[in-house]
Amino acid sequence: MKGDKLEEQDPKAPQPTPGLRKGDKLKEQDSSPPQPTPRPRKGDKHEEQRLGPEPAAPQQPTAEEEALIEFHRSYRELFEFFCNNTTIHGAIRLVCSQHNRMKTAFWAVLWLCTFCVMYWQFGLLFGEYFSYPVSLNINLNSDKLVFPAVTICTLNPYRYAEIKEELEELDRIAEQTLYDLYKYNSTALEARSRGRRDLRGTLPHPLRRLRVPPPPDGARRARGAASGVQDHNPQVDRKDWKIGFQLCNQNKSDCFYQTYSSGVDAVREWYHFHYINILSRLPETLPSLEEDTLGNFIFACRFNQVSCNQANYSHFHHPMYGNCYTFNGKNNSNLWMSSMPGINNGLSLMLRTEQNDFIPLLSTVTGARVMVHGQDEPAFMDDGGFNLRPGVETSISMRKETLDRLGGDYGDCTKNGSDVPVKNLFPSKYTQQVCIHSCFQESMIKVCGCAYIFYPRPQNVEYCDYKKHSSWGYCYYKLQADFSSDHLGCFTKCRKPCSVTSYQLSAGYSRWPSVTSQEWVFQMLSRQNNYTINNKRNGVAKVNIFFKELNYKTNSESPSVTMVTLLSNLGSQWSLWFGSSVLSVVEMAELIFDLLVITFLMLLRRFRSRYWSPGRGGRGAQEVASTPASSLPSHFCPHPTSLSLSQPGLAPSPALTAPPPAYATLGPCPSPGGITGASSSACPLGGALREERFLPPRQMLPWWEGLALED
Amino acid sequence: MAPGEKIKAKIKKNLPVTGPQAPTIKELMRWYCLNTNTHGCRRIVVSRGRLRRLLWIGFTLTAVALILWQCALLVFSFYTVSVSIKVRFQKLDFPAVTICNINPYKYSAVRHLLADLEQETREALKSLYGFPESRKRREAESWSSDLEGAQPRFSHRIPLLLFDQDEKGKVRDFFTGRKRKVSGSIIHKASNVMHIESKQVVGFQLCSNDTSDCATYTFSSGINAIQEWYKLHYMNIMAQVPLEKKINMSYSAEELLVTCFFDGVSCDARNFTLFHHPMHGNCYTFNNKENETILSTSMGGSEYGLQVILYINEEEYNPFLVSSTGAKVIIHRQDEYPFVEDVGTEIETAMVTSIGMHLTESFKLSEPYSQCTEDGSDVPIRNIYNAAYSLQICLHSCFQTKMVEKCGCAQYSQPLPPEANYCNYQQHPNWMYCYYQLHRAFVQEELGCQSVCKEACSFKEWTLTTSLAQWPSMVSEKWLLPVLTWDQGRQINKKLNKTDLAKLLIFYKDLNQRSIMESPANSIEMLLSNFGGQLGLWMSCSVVCVIEIIEVFFIDFFSIIARRQWQKAKEWWARKQAPRCPEAPRSPQGQDNPALDIDDDLPTFNSALHLPPALGTQVPGTPPPKYNTLRLERAFSNQLTDTQMLDEL
Repeated sequence: MKGDKLEEQDPKAPQPTPGLRKGDKLKEQDSSPPQPTPRPRKGDKHEEQRLGPEPAAPQQPTAEEEALIEFHRSYRELFEFFCNNTTIHGAIRLVCSQHNRMKTAFWAVLWLCTFCVMYWQFGLLFGEYFSYPVSLNINLNSDKLVFPAVTICTLNPYRYAEIKEELEELDRIAEQTLYDLYKYNSTALEARSRGRRDLRGTLPHPLRRLRVPPPPDGARRARGAASGVQDHNPQVDRKDWKIGFQLCNQNKSDCFYQTYSSGVDAVREWYHFHYINILSRLPETLPSLEEDTLGNFIFACRFNQVSCNQANYSHFHHPMYGNCYTFNGKNNSNLWMSSMPGINNGLSLMLRTEQNDFIPLLSTVTGARVMVHGQDEPAFMDDGGFNLRPGVETSISMRKETLDRLGGDYGDCTKNGSDVPVKNLFPSKYTQQVCIHSCFQESMIKVCGCAYIFYPRPQNVEYCDYKKHSSWGYCYYKLQADFSSDHLGCFTKCRKPCSVTSYQLSAGYSRWPSVTSQEWVFQMLSRQNNYTINNKRNGVAKVNIFFKELNYKTNSESPSVTMVTLLSNLGSQWSLWFGSSVLSVVEMAELIFDLLVITFLMLLRRFRSRYWSPGRGGRGAQEVASTPASSLPSHFCPHPTSLSLSQPGLAPSPALTAPPPAYATLGPCPSPGGITGASSSACPLGGALREERFLPPRQMLPWWEGLALED
Repeated sequence: MAPGEKIKAKIKKNLPVTGPQAPTIKELMRWYCLNTNTHGCRRIVVSRGRLRRLLWIGFTLTAVALILWQCALLVFSFYTVSVSIKVRFQKLDFPAVTICNINPYKYSAVRHLLADLEQETREALKSLYGFPESRKRREAESWSSDLEGAQPRFSHRIPLLLFDQDEKGKVRDFFTGRKRKVSGSIIHKASNVMHIESKQVVGFQLCSNDTSDCATYTFSSGINAIQEWYKLHYMNIMAQVPLEKKINMSYSAEELLVTCFFDGVSCDARNFTLFHHPMHGNCYTFNNKENETILSTSMGGSEYGLQVILYINEEEYNPFLVSSTGAKVIIHRQDEYPFVEDVGTEIETAMVTSIGMHLTESFKLSEPYSQCTEDGSDVPIRNIYNAAYSLQICLHSCFQTKMVEKCGCAQYSQPLPPEANYCNYQQHPNWMYCYYQLHRAFVQEELGCQSVCKEACSFKEWTLTTSLAQWPSMVSEKWLLPVLTWDQGRQINKKLNKTDLAKLLIFYKDLNQRSIMESPANSIEMLLSNFGGQLGLWMSCSVVCVIEIIEVFFIDFFSIIARRQWQKAKEWWARKQAPRCPEAPRSPQGQDNPALDIDDDLPTFNSALHLPPALGTQVPGTPPPKYNTLRLERAFSNQLTDTQMLDEL
């Protein structure tokens, strides 16, 4: 064993590097080292310094049996190995060719050029990918469609018994105001004309006529108002007069006039404002409506040739649009499906549009209002709706369209609204409209301290009423202006939902009932539904809502550059310019790792030789020198670790100074020592066939050794 | 020479192929790894250390797996489409416009056919709701007094019944007044929410042939009940009337169309072609490609579209069949069937209806990109319409075919399939029951029509914007009506009323045409270049590498195995011959030694420099048992140190 070691410690550059075809190459390296990178050169120097006196004992284990992991003994060896086996094109020429400087320089330029082009291309590709482009897909699907929810309202705000008194008072004041301003004399007013003066002061925010610009001789309040007149309709009014009402903040320091050019608008808005206040005094539980309200409003209902029943609709009351009925809403037990398009396969309703209980100043429209919306969306009758004319059959044909956006990085949309900083006050799924209304309500509560009546309120917040919140009107109109100009940030906060279903409506009208059929139709209605025939055509309306076609368009987005195509493009570029692959990069990583480990080992060895070996004889130095190579596998197998570490550290006794046998035990075929040839013959590892190129045959070894000795 | 040697020599002589580059699979792998251009493989062999090798095997296999996975993703996403939207400004073809009166036939013309039915309907109204006898009705009764004595034909067949909600199963017949027991299931159970006072619902009963199986249809509203009941009988009656007669009973083009303007030029009834719809009578189609030319508009805007004034005689309306007044207009492609009931837009009388159009064309890619059909030829439903394929046509055809199959006759509102008749209860007494059952099955998708029918690949779509205005205005009415009356004087002998007229404007809003086109997002070249990218990215591999892999891993692999097997077979044969041959037992020993195999093959591929002496000197002289050890020690000492070297790597 020892003899073997000694024999092999002579060659400086250890022989197992396989691909060394030319001896002169090595010679060159030795005499005038090439300049691949400064580090290996330094390493080489280190190597030469350190390795020179040291015995190359590590040869031992490899000769016997392949260890778990092995490292090159020198930088040079490592680089030779790398240059011979790397798969990176170009780079290998640069680093590994030492024939002449011209060639090296040429290759360096080439390599740099391709490198730059490649990274430029990579930059473009990554730039494209990280801009997250989407491509539009349009699909036409044709399946059975779920019929959307249909909400229909009477346009006839119901008069509650609880607030009847106050409403009557409001009506009276309104009439009074009308008389004062326009000398309009309604019949109802005549009776109560006596108490005109007294009544005037009972409500805050009286409606008054204003001169534009307001007279400068006014009080402080009027001057304050001069700055705050809100011009809704510039200069279309009669002469210089505007109609409006004054709104002030809490301590009356700032006031403005909400003015309108048209008296109709002014009176309506003013009435509306007071109506809201009165409504807010209503108890939370709405008064139960009479059972026959639906029968009073909807005379007949059919879907798909089948009569509707109680399970098909739900009822709610809207303060402006009156009684509303939602057909096929989300609490419908089994949703209506449309399997055929056409007018016969849709919803058909006969409606009563009589106006006997109207509040004259609140609703100026007759007919009914219908809205088509998704099952889990609230019916915003203000935002989307269709007015139905009395005496007409309105056929509304629908076409469904869905839009699916890609969320996440690809677009600014929200899947279910959970990531939107606005609390959803509505008991429905997220839509942009819901969010905006919730957002407005939120700021209303924050700024004004009370909730707007038309939107739901959170717990323990009251609806606005000027009896409790005297300045809410001022606050509300200010907020409304901020909201419209997006100072509240609602429009930026509320993101679009990722999937939207919309229904495109188009309507056709025909007169209903026809002259020939009206007789029996009215008769029938009067018998069955208490319809008063004298109203004739203006009291009834018919509406058909159906799908025009079952095809529905789905607009969806898909990423136009996916990870797969990005990788393909990267690969193409890489192959084109560099011809290397991910595995080449792994090779580089391995090289760097090896470099680090070797450096570490060398430092370790230097350290050891400085502090341990001087005190010992040549034999001790040999031992120490042998350890680094063996300590490498020691990281992985604990058995040699204990051996190698304990040996020099704890007990450097002569009994344990023979590490070679320990290595031998590592191998599966413990050789009894002696000739390597014999040991290998015992373990027929690997075939007998060798490629000459990589594995210099045994004959070359003396020649090799000779080379090394020559140096 | 050993017998094994001989066998091998023979094999080599006989086999035409030189065989793989290595004698054993392990050697083959080694050879491949060292020589291939595919990255990673070489490192497996060249690296030192078991862990390193293992890692490199792991890396290489990972790269292969990634390549396979990514390529699979590429293949699966091959059939995707990219959509391009083009907006073109050009002279646009005007679509075909079909105009129908809502009322199918002039009531005065069909009254003699429907007299019985009308009589009975009025009877039903009277007994059901206690209608007062108006003067008009008495007139009508006297008009049909000759039928007075006859037995009620229709009510007898399918009577209108009054269902009492309180007593289930008890119904009252309107005509006889007697109560009858209702058996069978009540299909459409209406709740009483629509009614205020009465707890009675109206409906009718349909029974199958043997009257054991009955279905009762009830309606929450009397109006619907009467209309539905009337319609059933009406279809029965009209099914027996020949087509020519029906066309004559309906409106003529001259009657319906008072004035016509197209693209600023006057047109008349001759520009319209007749199309008879079973439920809407005579319809007239403008621009129906009748003389092989499709009209087009030169400009957008209402001035350059179609302007017609329609005469809708409200007096001639059937009071029970239709309850609304007006016309229906359908905008469709020239070769498309106008589905009046599905896509028609109603026109109101005494109004001007402006319909602005915007054209969108869509082209889809058919198989394998999507499930659409180019011309319907691959849909197993026969098109009974004389028009181009569409999903709607397919669904209706499917239903009609099923109807003929199940009920033996065709439904009235759809075209007749060949060798079929429209249903009437003279010939098919229980067709209504059959129809209702079938319709229910159809709606619930039990007939399979919805799954069989596919959508068409290309279609044109006109998006309509409708607006209304009162017409004629108070002041213009004074001169307009007399002029129009004079115009129509030949046909109508009375002064036109405002409510008998409707004006219709159909025009392109602008001459922009939007085309939505699908085109394949991936082509074969794209797919290949992506494959190349993936192969290059992970392993720097190419098609040649793939061929190499196939060569090495399949052909060479199997040839090695085959050679082994062949040798074994030979060996077995040799052993069989053993009893005759005394040397036989030795040969298996030699055969078992792997070194022997290697020796035999080595000279053929490597430079045989070292080997000839080995072969020549050692083998023949020594006896077999000794032979092995000698060989390993002496002749192959060089070789074997190579093995060591290799391990060191």
